[in-house]
Amino acid sequence: MTVGIEYYVLLSLALFCIGLFGVLTRRNALMFLMSVELMLNAANINLIAFAFYHGNLTGQVFALFTMALAAAEVAVGLGIILVLYRNFRDVDVTVPSEMRW
Amino acid sequence: MMIETILAVTFAGALLTFLAPNRIAGKLAFAISLIPAGLSLWLFTAFDGSGNALLEGGELAFENRTTWIELGAYEISWYVGVDGISLPLVVLTTILTTLAIMSSWTPIDIRESQFYGLVLFIEANLIGVFVALDFFMWFIFWEAVLIPMYLLIGVWGGPRRKYAAIKFFIYTNVASLVMFAAFIALVFSLDVSSFGLPEVTQAMLNGGPDAFAGVAGSTVASLVFIAMFLGFAVKVPVVPFHTWLPDAHVEAPTPASVLLAGVLLKMGTYALLRFNFTMFPDQVETYAIPIAVIAVISVIYGAMLALAQTDLKRIVAYSSVSSMGYVILGLIAYTHFGVGGATFQMVSHGLISGLMFMAVGVIYNATHTRMVTDMSGMADKMPIAVGILIAGAFGYMGLPLMSGFAAEYFIFFGAFGSEVLSYAPVFTALAMFGIVIVAGYLLFAMQRTLFGPYRLETDYEVGRAPLHDIAPMFVLLGLIIALGVAPELIFDMILDAVDPILEFGGEA
Amino acid sequence: METAFELAPAIVLLPLAAFVVALLFGNYMPKKGALAGIVATAGSLLLSLYVMAAVATGGQHQETYFTWAAGDAVSETGVPTIEFTFGTLLDPLSALMLVIVSLIAFLVHVFSLGYMNDEGETGLPRYYAELGLFTFSMLAFVIADNLLMAFMFFELVGLCSYLLIGFWFRTESAPSAAKKAFLVTRFGDYFFLLGVVAIGATFGTLAFQGDGSFVAAAGEAIDNGETLFGFGAETWVTITGLLVLGGVIGKSAQFPLHTWLPDAMEGPTTVSALIHAATMVAAGVYLVARMFGYYALSPTALGIIAFVGGFTALFAATMGVVKDDIKQVLAYSTISQYGYMMLGLGVGGYVAGVFHLMNHAFFKALLFLGAGAVIVLMHHEQDMWKMGGLKDKAPIVYYTFLAGALALAGIVPFSGFWSKDEILFDAIIVGLNEPIFLAAYAMGLLAVFFTGFYTFRMVFLTFHGEPRSDAARDPHPVSWNIKFPLLTLGVLALVAGIANLAPVYKLTGLEITYLEFWLDGQYGGYADLTYSAYGDTVPFGTDYIGSETITLLIAAGLGLGLAVGGAVFAMVLYNVPEPEPHTENLGSARTVLRSNYYQDEYQVWLAENLTLPLARAADRFDQTVIDGVVNGVSSVSLFGSGRMKRLQTGVVTNYAALLIVGFIVLLVVLGVLGGWFV
Repeated sequence: MTVGIEYYVLLSLALFCIGLFGVLTRRNALMFLMSVELMLNAANINLIAFAFYHGNLTGQVFALFTMALAAAEVAVGLGIILVLYRNFRDVDVTVPSEMRW
Repeated sequence: MMIETILAVTFAGALLTFLAPNRIAGKLAFAISLIPAGLSLWLFTAFDGSGNALLEGGELAFENRTTWIELGAYEISWYVGVDGISLPLVVLTTILTTLAIMSSWTPIDIRESQFYGLVLFIEANLIGVFVALDFFMWFIFWEAVLIPMYLLIGVWGGPRRKYAAIKFFIYTNVASLVMFAAFIALVFSLDVSSFGLPEVTQAMLNGGPDAFAGVAGSTVASLVFIAMFLGFAVKVPVVPFHTWLPDAHVEAPTPASVLLAGVLLKMGTYALLRFNFTMFPDQVETYAIPIAVIAVISVIYGAMLALAQTDLKRIVAYSSVSSMGYVILGLIAYTHFGVGGATFQMVSHGLISGLMFMAVGVIYNATHTRMVTDMSGMADKMPIAVGILIAGAFGYMGLPLMSGFAAEYFIFFGAFGSEVLSYAPVFTALAMFGIVIVAGYLLFAMQRTLFGPYRLETDYEVGRAPLHDIAPMFVLLGLIIALGVAPELIFDMILDAVDPILEFGGEA
Repeated sequence: METAFELAPAIVLLPLAAFVVALLFGNYMPKKGALAGIVATAGSLLLSLYVMAAVATGGQHQETYFTWAAGDAVSETGVPTIEFTFGTLLDPLSALMLVIVSLIAFLVHVFSLGYMNDEGETGLPRYYAELGLFTFSMLAFVIADNLLMAFMFFELVGLCSYLLIGFWFRTESAPSAAKKAFLVTRFGDYFFLLGVVAIGATFGTLAFQGDGSFVAAAGEAIDNGETLFGFGAETWVTITGLLVLGGVIGKSAQFPLHTWLPDAMEGPTTVSALIHAATMVAAGVYLVARMFGYYALSPTALGIIAFVGGFTALFAATMGVVKDDIKQVLAYSTISQYGYMMLGLGVGGYVAGVFHLMNHAFFKALLFLGAGAVIVLMHHEQDMWKMGGLKDKAPIVYYTFLAGALALAGIVPFSGFWSKDEILFDAIIVGLNEPIFLAAYAMGLLAVFFTGFYTFRMVFLTFHGEPRSDAARDPHPVSWNIKFPLLTLGVLALVAGIANLAPVYKLTGLEITYLEFWLDGQYGGYADLTYSAYGDTVPFGTDYIGSETITLLIAAGLGLGLAVGGAVFAMVLYNVPEPEPHTENLGSARTVLRSNYYQDEYQVWLAENLTLPLARAADRFDQTVIDGVVNGVSSVSLFGSGRMKRLQTGVVTNYAALLIVGFIVLLVVLGVLGGWFV
């Protein structure tokens, strides 16, 4: 027997909401990055689940792309965080707001 | 292909000057500008057109039409040609630019190559505005004029140049937007497949617009007329859309002022004549009184404002508002002499205001002040420049045998007998009172600055102006007197092009 | 005869050539351009005499030289097109005026050698150039064959007047006077231009003469009872005629636009003689004479002309009584004398008005040049109280000045008597028929007394008694170039009256009213521009006290008696070795008179306390309200965007929250619209 699609969606939803909660509440840039990764992975779960559900591999391929993208994103994100730390002695995302206006 | 040659030479000249070293840029630009000036004079002598460019029954001179872009159901073409209304303005543009370049040799001392490059670029676009007969390309030229002028004011201007430049740019640009939207709406509601102005005019005269976006055709026509009038009114400018003008003039360097007053303002009245007063004869009749009221207010109010100024350039700037009011009066009269006189006034005011700005510029070069209160007795130190300034001032006052009188007389004569405008004699009499006020403020200013014992509040040694400052003014003075003594030089041509407007408008 | 008319343009163009030559080469010429002017005006004078001879032998000439502008313009009377042209109209009136103008211009050029060159003035090329330009414009105005051309040169003489009054531009007062002169006359010209436009738009023509003239068209319109611009034809003719009259009142310094003329005395005295006495100021009166046929159509317009003239004559004469500056006295007398001409024309006395115009040109030019000579004698002192006793030191100046004074005062047999008498006679006979004109007549008559008084007050203070200053004791000598013009004009002031001895004709029947014959076209001229043609149109009847002869004698006796009375009164008061300033006894009346009835004050008030504050208020309105709205639009958008940009906090968390909120709102909205929650 297979697990119903709705459970995958629920899992994905929970994961996404956890990520979202992290993005909205955390001030630490590293936590931020992790939360974003959670949200991405929620999307991945969706993609794979529906691919499986439809019997179509395209979604799974896209999940691979997303993972590659996530890796790149982490690389860039960590770079930014390093620069942040170097400039502000902190990784709090609310501190650097000079560039807003 | 003559018109294309002129445009190409001027654009290429602009680029060349832009790249040339600063040291030679002024002389180079002057030399280059002689080419379009010479060619446009050749156009003038070889002119063989007749009738109006937008209306049937005429023969367009130097016409060239090639399809440029196919845009769905609509066609945009490269379409140029001149008639009796546009040709004098083209010649005015080229001559005035050449003279303005010469008159900037003294005051412009930074980034010369960019300055002269921009002046030539403006010239090319101005010519384009007057020769283009397809709305799309016309609008490109129309808008492209703004950018170099914005830079000329913003880079080489006076202390408040940024404010003036931005005000000028945004104000006129918003006006263009209104006009553009109105015209596009008009084209969509008409049964045409082209942006060619003659086609649009024909469609307007053959029944006018259909209902568009749920609005009845006649209402569309009226709304478009009003929107376009407002759009052009800013450019002219008429009261109450005039406040960008004095700021721009005061901050602009002399040659930019010359072009701004001399040609850029005429774009507004030229467009009014081409669009509003050629395409919408019925609306002209409907809105005759409000427009005449605006014209009279522009004349009197502009003159009153000039009376209150103490900055020579502001005086000339406000008097431009007043003079352009006459143009509107002539247009709304909708008679041969009224519309013809308005066109004549465009040329005449271009020459005279150019002369005045140059003369004020020469005094400023020597004294570094333009305030009436800062000087007196300048006639003692700079007799020739002051002599020309006096001549120009009398030209502005409409002294007979100078072009200003001819223009104003034609306008007054045309307006007095107008049939379209009710109470025409009253409007004429009111507007005519401007000639008294203009004499008042110019004579006051002249008495205080030029005459009396010599006194100067700034620490400069005033000597005679160099020849290259004086020579352009002599040329302008010569043209002003020539047109004043023999207005027929261009007036015949203008009347010939004006005639069809009134004929198709049912007023001939 | 034809040659004369073909050469007519040269009369006008010679001084123009002198203008160009003096302007360009004056500095390099001996006498700084004077010679060019003298040669040119002498040439103009000779050619004018030639033209006059041609007219005298039965010629007349009208020719269009070139079309200034032409086009379609349906006039109110239905003429489909209009042409604006330059052309000449040579008839008795213009030929006479040509001679007057060119003669006086010539004499003034000669006089300038003594007054300007010998006195070491600078800027002489400019002076002679401007004189040349003036002569050109004035002559062109005189020969103009249409109203627009007349207007154009009417304005140009105004420009020359401005330039010449302001000749000494380094002073404070001359530029101010020049400005005032131009501005006040411009105010008049505003009405004139409106009149030109109105007449052109009404009748489709501006020609003075012929069947195609606006005069003929106006007559026709009145006969046909047409409605023009919503008025009856006659009313419209009155309105347009009065509009043109505005220019006349400004240029001929009639009340209330007379205030510029006394100030114009800031210019060189030669200029005052030429422009502000003999010729330019005459332009207004000449214009009325030129288009007299038009005014003759409207009794109202004529009546207004007569009253303006009569009132100005008296009004200005009273002010002349209290002036101390010799040129000021002459200025007010000029205003007053032009008032007489207007009075004469207004009562239909076309010949009388033109006659006085001619005589006045001679004797007033003489008086001004005489005053110029006195100023040279006095080392540039103009206050009469510093003069005295010049009679013996400069006999030629004295006797010629006296001739002019006698003519001005109107003492028989000097020229002024004959013309002034004729004006007053014409006024009284019209007045006897239409009593309202008696008031104009009375004003003119009363002015005669004042004229006699101030004229001789001036003569006695200047030339008689003991010298009252060092300059008067040791006057600067004057040379031939000053004496020659004085003598020429002195002779003319004495004998010019012969031209029209109307009283003699009426008493003896001798046919010697040559000027009347001349203006009546009996030698040559156009039938529609003759005295008798005008006489047929003028709507006034005449009456006599008893017979014509008795009326004539009464009028002449009254005029002469009052003139002599004024002169004798002046003699009693001032012909003493040490005259007293008797006018101070007038008390507050003197203050009013010295202040020129506060005419200047109210006009300056209008300019400075009404117009200027109004302009300033307009400027404030413009800067605050209109520009305020423009700047307000930009401020509002700046302010609004200033608020809007606060959304952008720079905190990524907020952006994410906004994103989520926006997404949810969008979802809900779409859901509601899509009917999910129904």
